[in-house]
Amino acid sequence: MIGQKNMRQLALAAVLCSAGGALAAESDSVTTEERLLTAASESNNWLHHHGTYNAHHFSSLAEINRSNVGELKVAWTFAIGGTEGGGIHPSAGLEATPLVEDGFMYAIDGWGVVTKLDVREGRGKFVWRMDPATDKDWAGEVACCGVNNRGVALWGKLVLSHTLDGRLVATSKDSGENIWERQIGAPEHGETITVAPLIVKDMAITGVSGGEFGIRGWLEATDLNSGERRWRRHTIAAPDEPGGDTWADDHEAYKTGGGGTWVTGSYDGELDLIYWGVGNPGPDWDRHYRPGDNLFSNSTIAVDPDTGEIKFHFQYTPNDPFDYDGVNEHVLVDTLYKNQPQKMMLHADRNGFLYAINRADGSFIYATPYVKRINWTSGIDPVSGQPLDYDPEAKIQNYAGVASGRGKLKSGLICPGLMGGKNWMPMAYNPERGLLYIPVNESCNSTTTSPVDDDSKSIPREWFTAGGMHNPERFSGSLAAIDVSQGKMTMRIDTKYPILSGVLATAGDLVFTATPDGDVVAYDAENLKELWRFPTGSGLNAPVITYAVEEKQYIAISVGLGGTMPKWWIEAVPGLENVNPSAMIFTFSL
Amino acid sequence: MIVQREGLPVRKRLIISLCVFFVSLTIHAEPNARLGKSIYKKANCVGCHKWHGGGGGSYGGLALSLRTTPLSREALILVVRCGRPGTNMPYHMRQAYKGANRECYGSNSASLGDATPPRARYFLRDRDIVAVVDYVRNNIQGRGAPNYGDCVAFWGEEATRCKRMAQSK
Repeated sequence: MIGQKNMRQLALAAVLCSAGGALAAESDSVTTEERLLTAASESNNWLHHHGTYNAHHFSSLAEINRSNVGELKVAWTFAIGGTEGGGIHPSAGLEATPLVEDGFMYAIDGWGVVTKLDVREGRGKFVWRMDPATDKDWAGEVACCGVNNRGVALWGKLVLSHTLDGRLVATSKDSGENIWERQIGAPEHGETITVAPLIVKDMAITGVSGGEFGIRGWLEATDLNSGERRWRRHTIAAPDEPGGDTWADDHEAYKTGGGGTWVTGSYDGELDLIYWGVGNPGPDWDRHYRPGDNLFSNSTIAVDPDTGEIKFHFQYTPNDPFDYDGVNEHVLVDTLYKNQPQKMMLHADRNGFLYAINRADGSFIYATPYVKRINWTSGIDPVSGQPLDYDPEAKIQNYAGVASGRGKLKSGLICPGLMGGKNWMPMAYNPERGLLYIPVNESCNSTTTSPVDDDSKSIPREWFTAGGMHNPERFSGSLAAIDVSQGKMTMRIDTKYPILSGVLATAGDLVFTATPDGDVVAYDAENLKELWRFPTGSGLNAPVITYAVEEKQYIAISVGLGGTMPKWWIEAVPGLENVNPSAMIFTFSL
Repeated sequence: MIVQREGLPVRKRLIISLCVFFVSLTIHAEPNARLGKSIYKKANCVGCHKWHGGGGGSYGGLALSLRTTPLSREALILVVRCGRPGTNMPYHMRQAYKGANRECYGSNSASLGDATPPRARYFLRDRDIVAVVDYVRNNIQGRGAPNYGDCVAFWGEEATRCKRMAQSK
């Protein structure tokens, strides 16, 4: 429903945008459902947040390849702005994946300001900017992990984007005019939105952030024809819903049970299912407050796009005491495993294991560690897929005994730490090699629990973590390659810092990623030998993409460090304190 | 006698000194208050102690309330400079705990080991530390529950938080 207030905002926005509209270069491109389903065939474009619905982050472009990548040079740069702070954050970051459609790029900054660039003729030329006037302090005060926005989506003649203060905004591709917008998230309850929308059919799917602020998470579908809600599905089960019996407390812990959905999901058009990761239960470090497995926290849910019904789920870390958010992306791969064809959904969970799940029915195929140190469990049961130390009879999981909680307020060293073996930064799959390239965060930490009284409730907009973390060790990183048909790691190279940028694989037999201290890097897909490196002079925590225009291939990335590391655990990543805020698009070509 | 004979000049000097002091306050108090508030935001005090100073949870764990703390000005300066060993309150003095430097609690990182506080992202100069401590003392410490005036002073009159606070009164 677009209310009167919103209509007034639209009118104002139309006036504000008129100058930009007059300058707009019209593009005739219409992003149809068919194009979104077959996006892999449009190798000149990057139409989805994850490139394609199956989230391969792979491009068949091969002009830039192993033999010539050493000649890669800066093609153009563009300052999109948006580094200013708000709320508890002194500056904003840039985590977004830009989209490219038929010679035009759509970039977004942490505050939701969308910039359209004409990227033809070997440069980035300003077309329009849509400023949604995000309520910075209001939203930034309850954004746990930085002022972030991970990208826009395209549908028809619209650009769909979110704002940190909880809105879905539809903008005209041609004019930059704000066509309509709708308030979806509730910052008054600690909800913010950082995720890029997923377009399925004629809907935009929105996820929510706020698992550290006592929210009850959800996914919501907006009908793009009407701008109205199609459905909302809570990711934390109420007592009368399937999974409700996994909240075995007597104080309605599910109402503040967390379960954020802040990483864009994947979609299988044939099975007609959306796969979306659900975040940590709340409060993070007092699992006694929420006895039970806490569904659907730390799970992948398979969702019917027409109704929002959860068809099946797979949970990675029940009754999580580690803040092992299960939000990470899902790479959909059809391959042989043990001589059987499998429709896999691959998910590198924060808990340190790569899972292969049957995406038709949710059954477990395999799990394999992708990070060097794992000590919270002794492994994953090869039949059930549950952690070996999981006790199905227990309401409180102790796993291998390293967690903090009631009765043991300080933990031992926990590996991986709460950042996980991998965070939201997407991995890439090269179908020609059958290899998955994972950006790894090699880190451990410890936690302290400050128990929450069972009779007390989360206060809206107040943190609801029940403790904090400590970093006795420095973090490092690695890039790991896993043969998905074997479930085995084949290669790993070490990096000075955790890799906080997403990975891109290309048919040029290259793997691209970037470092938080400022370098964009290309590796040989066969052996992970470094082939090219460019220092941007800033910091990076955004995915790499590629596109082509006028038959020339480009590599592009948003440049501007933000996120949790500079804010909360700088002591574990010394040197990053010297990275200043920036907000640039860098592109490279031969 | 000497005191009586010199009384007038002493008073004059005192008056002159007071004038200089108040002029100095007029010139410096406002910028110093602004500096203190700006550091309170930038140095991430606001992350754990919150805008109101009441503390509470965050990734740093439970932060104490600056509204109710009995710490003296000197103690607050020490804590900002040196952090609090065994907690996540970071140190803001660049050389704290480094090598043989034992300016903080007579300790260095070798002697404190795992109890060494984390470093802050932004190191602060002594004048910055004084400014932020004075900001806390003048605006937060001993102030009771945060009210609408506190909200406006921190976020501004147009801030959604403050408008909602006004509506709920």
